[in-house]
Amino acid sequence: MSNTTAQFVRTAYRDSASDQTAKRIMWLYIGSGLTLVGVMVVVGLGMRMAQGGMHTFQPGLFYSLMTLHGSAMMVGMALCGMGLLWYLFTQEGPLNPTTAIVACALILVGAVLVAISALVGGFGAAWTFLYPLPFVGTYWPSWATGVFLAGIACVVLGWTIWCLQMLGGVLTRYGGLRGAFAWDLVWSPKKFAATGQKPPPPQAFAVLVSAVDGLLAGSAGMLVGVALFARWLNPALPLDPLWVKNLTYIFGHTLANLTIYMPLAAVYVALPRYTHHRHWHTSAVLAVAWWATLAFVAIAYFHHLYMDFAQPRAVQYIGEAASYLAAFPPAVVTVFGGALLVYRSGFRWTLGSMFLYVGMIGWVVGGIGALLDVTVAFNIYFHNTLWVVAHFHTYLLEGALLFVLGWVFYCLEERSGATSSRAVRTLVSLGVFGGGAWLLLGWYLAGAQGVPRRYALQPAPGMEIGWWASLGGIILVVGLIMCGIEAIRLARRPAHREVSAA
Amino acid sequence: MLAAVAIGTLVAVARTAQGPAVEQATIQNPGYRLRSIWFRGLAVVAVIGFLLSLPAFPYYTRSQLASSQHYPVTALQFAFAMPAVLPIDTPIVLDVTATDVNHGVGIYDPDGRIVAQVQAMPGYTNSLSLMLKKPGQYVVLCLEYCGIAHHLMRAGFEVR
Repeated sequence: MSNTTAQFVRTAYRDSASDQTAKRIMWLYIGSGLTLVGVMVVVGLGMRMAQGGMHTFQPGLFYSLMTLHGSAMMVGMALCGMGLLWYLFTQEGPLNPTTAIVACALILVGAVLVAISALVGGFGAAWTFLYPLPFVGTYWPSWATGVFLAGIACVVLGWTIWCLQMLGGVLTRYGGLRGAFAWDLVWSPKKFAATGQKPPPPQAFAVLVSAVDGLLAGSAGMLVGVALFARWLNPALPLDPLWVKNLTYIFGHTLANLTIYMPLAAVYVALPRYTHHRHWHTSAVLAVAWWATLAFVAIAYFHHLYMDFAQPRAVQYIGEAASYLAAFPPAVVTVFGGALLVYRSGFRWTLGSMFLYVGMIGWVVGGIGALLDVTVAFNIYFHNTLWVVAHFHTYLLEGALLFVLGWVFYCLEERSGATSSRAVRTLVSLGVFGGGAWLLLGWYLAGAQGVPRRYALQPAPGMEIGWWASLGGIILVVGLIMCGIEAIRLARRPAHREVSAA
Repeated sequence: MLAAVAIGTLVAVARTAQGPAVEQATIQNPGYRLRSIWFRGLAVVAVIGFLLSLPAFPYYTRSQLASSQHYPVTALQFAFAMPAVLPIDTPIVLDVTATDVNHGVGIYDPDGRIVAQVQAMPGYTNSLSLMLKKPGQYVVLCLEYCGIAHHLMRAGFEVR
């Protein structure tokens, strides 16, 4: 087993039949995920333009599109991370391809059901579908609620299967929880070194944490889904709205967080490949950082309920503390480690490496916005304003998505042995980073002024800011289209055999 | 400002990467020492930030509840039932609930600045303790998505 990322990658481009299968499955996940994300970016831009007064959506259509946008964007980003981790893990140990295909198929069926519910049925309870909203005062037929819940159930089922498969793989490969967590490396380093064993590579921790926290989120999602489904079948069934709200946010917040942590594995694996002989190895500090991530991501969701004063007081304090602590592993270990890796490394700038590095910047900036929002004293002013939209779009659009694009271009560059021209890199930078920053700035500015989120028509100064921000969104979409064209150009080039055989 | 510092630092690091490469072993130990300082500094900032934030938590105390005037606020699709006038410079508590779905009560002062908010949930009463210091007409907007006319759900009250 290899203990460093660079060694790991040297074996990553085999041409064996099993590796070809693994790659096909990775591209199935990432391809379908990026397709969903791409369509949802366009839908999101359409909504932002409507908020900016550039055109009109009827409120019912706006809220149905908003529901679709939120749900499908999460599913799309999750699919990308899942495919990436699945492929990386196959380089360490065997995974059953059929199980992965079944999980992906279930998630895609779920996405189709959600789309039917929103676009045909007009379902518009937002991705949060906060009980009792899906059932009370609706402007959509009851069947649309049922189809939406069935869609979410399919997504959760597929996600759970994936988590179980990955968890099983990690535990088998590294000798149970003790090995997978690198317990001995942390607590008995000398003894561990004397055994000659190697700890799991950094990306294995992303697999482990995604699987464990993912199962927690999936269980909460399944529980709330079953409860709502029962309520749909029997309208007399009473549910506690606060209980449902807690479960909904354990599910949604944790899944949203994991969509960032999953593609982070691409940084561990691919970033060193652009440096001059540098490696990203597993240290005790890295292992402890991932333990902290496992714990704090699972309980940080409490910050979604700060404004529910009926929530037990203690968990509000835990929510703020856990949210602060969740920032330490990225700030102190991963982003710091990434910067140290790049520092004076003779780094090669390509589209792939640029996306990976700028993704870390986007993650940090979105994290700073989140830290303000999770501070209760500020949350009074920011909760459910466009500030929230700003920070999560920052680390999804300019963080997680860039990690995925970085991985895609890394694969394409390694396969073809070619990179993009400086002109293309400049244009893509202007579009994706410049347009993206412009778009995001609009949400931050409006949020700081208390403009509410999830409004089909926004009060002043929301509309004016929305108009200007939409221009940034258009530039971002142009940048992403250029990325797509460049990816196709690289993909059409013949494989670079020297790299494949390395 | 924090974001600008973070972006500036990471861009500065990126700029060093284009020069001649140095061995990883050369920078590793100084890097780890810097990481240790960074970790401790961040921990101090986080602890101080957390402690400083505690007095600003908006959750009522028993004494606040007992010594304040209480006003009921009920949210429903797509309106608020609440008093038309609230007293200035007086400790008050809004007892907020909802009759149908989740709503949010976002209170904006006469200058359009949000001054407080709380969720309105069926079956629960969220007590929002506050003191309104500026006279004039306040606006209440719904801050939890609640259905097709969510963006139209608003109310107003006067503070005098």
